Amino acid sequence: MSMFDGLKFRNISSPIHRIDPRTKFIYVLTFFIVAVFFNQLIPLLILFFSQIPLIIIAKVKKEWLRLIKGSSFFATIIFIMNVISLYFYSGYSSFASIIEQASAMTVRFIVLVESFSIFFLTTSPDMLGLSLEQIGIPYEFCFAFTTAIRFVPVLAEEAQTIIDAQRARGLELEGGNLMKRIRNYIPILIPLIVNAIRRSLELAEAMESRAWGATEKRTTLYMLKMERRDYCLILISALMLAASVYAWLFIKIPTLTQILNIQG
Amino acid sequence: MAIIEARNLTYTYPYAESPAFKDVTLRVERGEFILLTGPSGCGKTTLCRCFNGLIPHFYGGKLEGEITVAGLRTTEHPIHEIAQHVGLVFQTPENQLFALTIEKDVAFGLENLGLPRDEMRRRVDWALKVTGIYDLKDRAPYEVSGGQQQRVAIASILAMQPEVIVLDEPTSFLDPLSARNILEVINRLNKELGITIILVEHRLDLAARYANRVIVMNEGQIILDGEPRKVFLENEAALIGVGIPKVVRLYMLLKRAGLNISRVPLSPEELSKSIMEELIFDRG
Ligand SMILES: Nc1ncnc2c1ncn2[C@@H]1O[C@H](COP(=O)(O)OP(=O)(O)OP(=O)(O)O)[C@@H](O)[C@H]1O
Ligand SMILES: [Mg+2]
Repeated sequence: MSMFDGLKFRNISSPIHRIDPRTKFIYVLTFFIVAVFFNQLIPLLILFFSQIPLIIIAKVKKEWLRLIKGSSFFATIIFIMNVISLYFYSGYSSFASIIEQASAMTVRFIVLVESFSIFFLTTSPDMLGLSLEQIGIPYEFCFAFTTAIRFVPVLAEEAQTIIDAQRARGLELEGGNLMKRIRNYIPILIPLIVNAIRRSLELAEAMESRAWGATEKRTTLYMLKMERRDYCLILISALMLAASVYAWLFIKIPTLTQILNIQG
Repeated sequence: MAIIEARNLTYTYPYAESPAFKDVTLRVERGEFILLTGPSGCGKTTLCRCFNGLIPHFYGGKLEGEITVAGLRTTEHPIHEIAQHVGLVFQTPENQLFALTIEKDVAFGLENLGLPRDEMRRRVDWALKVTGIYDLKDRAPYEVSGGQQQRVAIASILAMQPEVIVLDEPTSFLDPLSARNILEVINRLNKELGITIILVEHRLDLAARYANRVIVMNEGQIILDGEPRKVFLENEAALIGVGIPKVVRLYMLLKRAGLNISRVPLSPEELSKSIMEELIFDRG
């Protein structure tokens, strides 16, 4: 679970939290693209470290570290796979450059995780829903999105209650082969699904009772507005993209192996 | 003019063999505080669903007879139109809250109505203050207690400024203290704001003191309807298992034992006051 905790929003206030989600999304997307541009270790490391001040300003260091730790398992797999495939399928002669190349891929993965975690750690689902609404996505979808998020903790709690209740009646969850294990979960899934259906009917009833669909021109309590800091961040993203396109086209980026002159 | 008027109302759910209630005739006047009670399955919830048009628009089925709410025939007007006159608060607090913050939940109905933002802001703040949850407005609904959730549900209906608020067992998931606090809030809506209240409740000990009319249903029919102090004395009420308030039972026992108390009490305070008066009168 620790990996997903990293993607869970915590309601704190920071300059990063106050940025419009749309702007933040543009920034993260730019970051993503830039990370995919480069496959050398040095620029990827620069990307990785350049985000750390942002994380500190946003006061989400602990969650972020947990996320990075959580993703280390996948990172390790990526690293090993890369070493193996580079060793067998490419003409790399030097062992050092294989390691560097594999590290670059791993860092790229971490950078991608990092950029998305900044987005999700500093954007409340509520704001996210609102920005979906304001970029013109039909309200029904936005509503479904925020409602789904709203009910995640409720359903998680319910699942736990059902598990406890079934255990109390002697249900064994552990043990047995794969098929048996899957079958073990049926007595949990069925009540969970039935409850979810019943719940959704009640929700629909409550929505109707609050004049759902009364007017085509729905209004909202809050409205997102782009401010100066948002335009600044968009400008920074654009510059970052331009700089990396330039670097990609015209600058020959040296590898760490070349700089340190390691022979494999 | 009556705010709700039902004449010979009979309703059968889709695929049901027998009607959930039959031949119900009922007049609700503006400003009343009605306590609707009766054994489980007698049709209380079903009747509530008729008051804002969920029946027949949402549930389908067969509705016979006639019902008008605030002058509108519910069969001819969509739910969202009737919902502006009659607000419904449901039993399960968490299943009637959708938003990720309490204040947005209270705004939900107003957003649906397309109200301008400043008007919405005013009404949301007002409803939050009346129900005493203004300080919680930025919290998520799943972070607060059941009692507070039920207040949010009430606030979100209140913000739509309906003339009638119907509450279907709003306290059944709450502890006695939270239940009492919720009932106090409901009572204020009635006494201070003049909103007509229809409260479905099994906990008569707590709720009886606020009502000025009690309706008892049994097996899909209204069997008693009148002032609480009269209805609770009826044999029929006790026979079908309505939880007659303990103070009323005590009153009856005292009366049978020869202590003559002038007025049927609806709360321990009333009873104690009457007994004191009686004792002082005896001595004097
Ligand atoms: N959605 C439904 N579909 C079909 N039948 C229903 C539905 N809801 C209730 N009924 C039936 O209608 C009858 C009246 O039920 P209703 O829920 O109105 O009772 P109630 O007085 O509210 O009971 P309780 O005190 O348990 O809430 C019952 O026989 C019930 O089985
Ligand atoms: Mg009911």
